[in-house]
Amino acid sequence: MSVKSFTRGGYPLTENCFDELVSSDGSVRPVAAAIARFIDKHGATELCQRQDQLNQTISDMGVCFTLYSDGNNIDRAWPLDVMPRTIPSTEWQSTSAGLKQRLTALNLFIDDLYNKQRILKDGVVPADLVLQSRNYLAPCQGISPLFGVWANICGTDLVRDEDGRFLVLEDNLRVPSGVSYMLENRTVMKRVFPELFAESTIYPVDDYPHQLWRMLASLSPRHSDVPCIVLLTPGIYNSAYFEHSFLAQQTGIELAENTDLFVEDDIVYLKKLHGKQRVDVIYRRVDDVFIDPQAFRPDSVLGIPGLIKAWAKGNVSIANAPGSGVADDKVIYAYVPQIIQYYLGEKPLIDNVETFLCLDPKQKSYVLANLDKLVVKPANESGGYGILIGPRSTLAEQQQMAEAIKANPRNFIAQPTLNLSTAPTLCDGALEPRHLDLRPFILQGKELYCTTGGLSRVALKRGSLVVNSSQGGGSKDTWIINDEV
Amino acid sequence: MLLKSVDNIFWLGRYLERLDDTARLVNATSHLLIDSHKDTQFSWPVLLDVMGLDSKTALANYQLPPDATPEQASIEYAVMAHLISNSASTVSIRHTCSQLKYNARSIRQLIPRDMWEELNKLDIFLQQHCQQPGGRQQRYNLMTEVSRRCQMVVGVLDGVMLRSDAFDLFNIGRHLERADMTTRIMDVMVLQQLQPTQIKRPKFRWTSILNALGGIESYHYYLAHQSGDVDAIDYLLTYADFPRSIAYCLNRVAASAKGLPHSISILQQVHQLQALLKTEPLTELSTEQLHQLIDHIQAGIINLHKVIATPAENLSRAQLSA
Repeated sequence: MSVKSFTRGGYPLTENCFDELVSSDGSVRPVAAAIARFIDKHGATELCQRQDQLNQTISDMGVCFTLYSDGNNIDRAWPLDVMPRTIPSTEWQSTSAGLKQRLTALNLFIDDLYNKQRILKDGVVPADLVLQSRNYLAPCQGISPLFGVWANICGTDLVRDEDGRFLVLEDNLRVPSGVSYMLENRTVMKRVFPELFAESTIYPVDDYPHQLWRMLASLSPRHSDVPCIVLLTPGIYNSAYFEHSFLAQQTGIELAENTDLFVEDDIVYLKKLHGKQRVDVIYRRVDDVFIDPQAFRPDSVLGIPGLIKAWAKGNVSIANAPGSGVADDKVIYAYVPQIIQYYLGEKPLIDNVETFLCLDPKQKSYVLANLDKLVVKPANESGGYGILIGPRSTLAEQQQMAEAIKANPRNFIAQPTLNLSTAPTLCDGALEPRHLDLRPFILQGKELYCTTGGLSRVALKRGSLVVNSSQGGGSKDTWIINDEV
Repeated sequence: MLLKSVDNIFWLGRYLERLDDTARLVNATSHLLIDSHKDTQFSWPVLLDVMGLDSKTALANYQLPPDATPEQASIEYAVMAHLISNSASTVSIRHTCSQLKYNARSIRQLIPRDMWEELNKLDIFLQQHCQQPGGRQQRYNLMTEVSRRCQMVVGVLDGVMLRSDAFDLFNIGRHLERADMTTRIMDVMVLQQLQPTQIKRPKFRWTSILNALGGIESYHYYLAHQSGDVDAIDYLLTYADFPRSIAYCLNRVAASAKGLPHSISILQQVHQLQALLKTEPLTELSTEQLHQLIDHIQAGIINLHKVIATPAENLSRAQLSA
């Protein structure tokens, strides 16, 4: 790799894509100046050595994720690229305000759906769209959690369009994951690039565990005592167990499986060494339909019988509240701008990606006629599964998708294939542009909080748009750099 | 801490100590060889017997020549593979390390970050370097390094972990395992003397054992300050100032158990074991009797383990009704 090629315009920018570090004229963006100076001074070999050091640090720290493959669970080292992604602080301030605005509106929306249903009666969102969704959980009707907030922890996926504008790609309101990697990425990078952290003002990210604890504590139904908070995990074989145990350790809350909890007289208790302890708040990392076999799926082996009744009586808080997934639906997503307008009387600070709803006959015809150009997504999947990326798909795949859409139009949406932004990524000893997204995490309890940056996920294959770690994606540390004068 | 975690944190302590002590067991026998006359025969399968295995069954998988005698190099290699590198062997260092990692993962939330990192480094090192048992010199260095890395984990933990039930249970696990392994290492010596092939019974060569346990100097100190007829057996069983003696380990278990809800049951069991150490004039025991005493101590340790690992079943009646 010629290092000069990165700073003097030889870095191969991708056509019609915004690059996070390099402007379209090939000059380095001011926000990445310190990194460019580092590469100029130390050269490519040094960068590769730092990547090796970084990989070693990751394995020493035991940062991993679990893959299910052929019925086995395999721990893989967490993939982190040595090149950070940089964002100016002034831009982040407005983005963060937009994310908080969005979550505020979504929570008003969910609370309304399970109570007065004003928005449905006013015809802003079609009633049957919501009420027929499998994520609308009837047992939650009439309940209003503390502060009227249902989704306390949200992971919003942001992408940039070709002009560099942030757009919301999706809202993850069920059990969003990834924040532990945001924290660990930073810990690793500080060890690997101490000089860069000394030279620039990179905003810290490490107050998240405390903010998470504060938010959870604010949900406690008892005010006098130190709240007992537990993180409910499906167990050590779950793909996100690393994150569950990490967050429990960092926040100082208990990590429990369903067998560690029980309900007695509508109070939830934890089985501790010295006896039972009353539980105030459950940070659940189990899908809501599995948390109580008495209320939802009777076949669930991950649940705690009686939990929903205890929650409905207000004896325990659950974050995210059961039923919040109703707003985490790619069809509802299309209505979020109207939802923000309806509840807050404001224009969205961050726009949606243009979205076609297959349930609308006109839009469906358009989607079917343009399957080779669009990205089609099922309404209720995560992890990048079941997606058709039109321009990269075969005719057979498009036909298969067309059949699926015709059979169940409600279940599909389509979006234009985005020119996701790129960032220089170390690939086989050279810096090459790779597409990436960003998942910030927003907390809402008594107060609102947004992480400083978030988890940047990068597609490691040339030209690929798939950033999920389960499908060969990697990550980058996200540096919010002070650019205020 | 959660009731469920008792077992994991306790085993974390046991496995960590077992790693260290297995490495010491291997080195104790290497010392023994260095100290011995070149014609001395050493029965390698004894090392598997003291670990509670049937050495014949264990060695059946190693395709040894049918006429191999217990002191041959091929047997030494197979025994060492079974103790160090064979991950399918339940007593191997690699297997123990996998168990250590599994328990650590199950209670990650209780483990400080620095210790977690040290445990990962230990695991990476062992999985990389314990693929083969290696030659004697290489093995000695490897085992010393294994012990050193185990000490690093304990040291880091001691410096940063909250003094909680988890800390106490970890220490109970460590000292219970240490007591157990000290008796096993002693048993290597004792069983060597019981080999029917050896007609002459030389005096126990305890120096090598004491060296591997890091206790040779303090043994000399002990001899210089103790009245009466004492030897290495008294020292390893009853000298409570030496941190690898059975007496010391039991004291530590008792001290760490005080804050636990089932401390009464634990202390009862500890007292029974302590009584066992006092019943005999140790220096007068025959080799056979000594072997039996070691068996009794090991059985007592198993009982103690059961009591510790099941707190809910070992609460006093008063505690249960409260």
